[in-house]
Amino acid sequence: MRVTVNFKINGRDRIAHIEPRTSLLDVIREDLGLIGAKEGCGKGECGACTVIMNGDAVPSCLVLAAGVEGKEIITIEGIAENGRLHPLQEAFVRYHASQCGFCSPGMILTAKAFLDRNPSPSEAEVRDVMMSNLCRCTGYEKIIEAIMVVANGEVD
Amino acid sequence: MDAHFKPEHYHRPTDLETASTLLTKGGARVIAGGTDLLVNGPADTESLVDINGLGLSYIREDDGLRIGTTTTFTNLLRSPLLERYPYRVIADAAGELGHHNLRHVATVGGNICNAVPSADAPVVLIALDAVVIIHGASGERTVSLDGFFKFVRETVMGEGEFLKEIVVPVQPEAGASFQKLGRTKVDIALVNAACRLSIVDGVISDSRIVLGAVYPTPLRVRATEDVLNGNEFTVGLAEKAAKVAADATKPISDHRASAGYRRDMSNVLVKRAIIEAYERAEGAR
Repeated sequence: MRVTVNFKINGRDRIAHIEPRTSLLDVIREDLGLIGAKEGCGKGECGACTVIMNGDAVPSCLVLAAGVEGKEIITIEGIAENGRLHPLQEAFVRYHASQCGFCSPGMILTAKAFLDRNPSPSEAEVRDVMMSNLCRCTGYEKIIEAIMVVANGEVD
Repeated sequence: MDAHFKPEHYHRPTDLETASTLLTKGGARVIAGGTDLLVNGPADTESLVDINGLGLSYIREDDGLRIGTTTTFTNLLRSPLLERYPYRVIADAAGELGHHNLRHVATVGGNICNAVPSADAPVVLIALDAVVIIHGASGERTVSLDGFFKFVRETVMGEGEFLKEIVVPVQPEAGASFQKLGRTKVDIALVNAACRLSIVDGVISDSRIVLGAVYPTPLRVRATEDVLNGNEFTVGLAEKAAKVAADATKPISDHRASAGYRRDMSNVLVKRAIIEAYERAEGAR
């Protein structure tokens, strides 16, 4: 059985025809060719596959693609505007928050969804939220620093 | 990802009757948040019945607190109805489950129906005397959450049945506490515990003590409740009651912790839960 789903990704309407078991991550990477989201653990533990769905960051490896009918998805490819990096991307560059870069799309999307809802969080709140994502290079301090710079309005 | 989990069909019913009919077919399985099923999906799953289209994502006050089965843990954390104790303890537990992003997807009903011994929601909801409404092909039935679990991954639900709603009774005079010990903040519980105390004229009139991850099902310890009921709160009483609770556990040893450690920590967590529940019950008046 093939399932047809209509959804919006990075502002564009898309249709996918998929097997019932297909994850949203597989649709994004294999069908749409957006490879910013990565498969790390495949169990929702590492956050490398994070995308934003209807305003909240979610592990897309655990989201059934068949269930995303009518939803709005944002991936790392969709947050720059008019060729200008998103402030979080800019801060990650400026504060050396990417090392190998594998976790960076997920890290940035988790932070973006959270800051969109909570524009002035404490560092403790940010650290709690960022437990959703693992960094194998263990560059956590730089990542938190970059996010806090944006939260404090020091990068625009 | 489990390579053997390959359902052939996907359905997204929009009414309860159709959902139950679909679930009577062999190999049919409910999917809600998917955070468990997409990791541990059984190989004999032939069809998925997605219950997210049934309008069961809500939290409302109506003769108690009513929580729809597909309500996510984030929904709980954002609900103004859970700002005050004793209901607040549900949000306390919700905030301890997994990590921030997982809570956007994982559902309360899923956390209950997977019937995993370490689950957080059942422990806190049993302490609040929650009942669950089960929908089946021949109508609905209501069962106490305390009697819902039969064994690891086994519940009283039969073919065609699924959990529709959780109802938590009104308990204005009660204080409640949830305690969880994990290997890391995002890991499942090594032990979790919940306590609810009702205090009348300085005396504990009613209590619930529930532990998780130390028994095949959530473990309500009536012997501990008997130690508490009818007495005035003291730290000494909490210590005595916690010891009785720890003695009732039957934990396993695994890669996360030994049985002995789990039993010792049951003692510590129950004591903390009783003390905090008492402080909140006193603060409620």
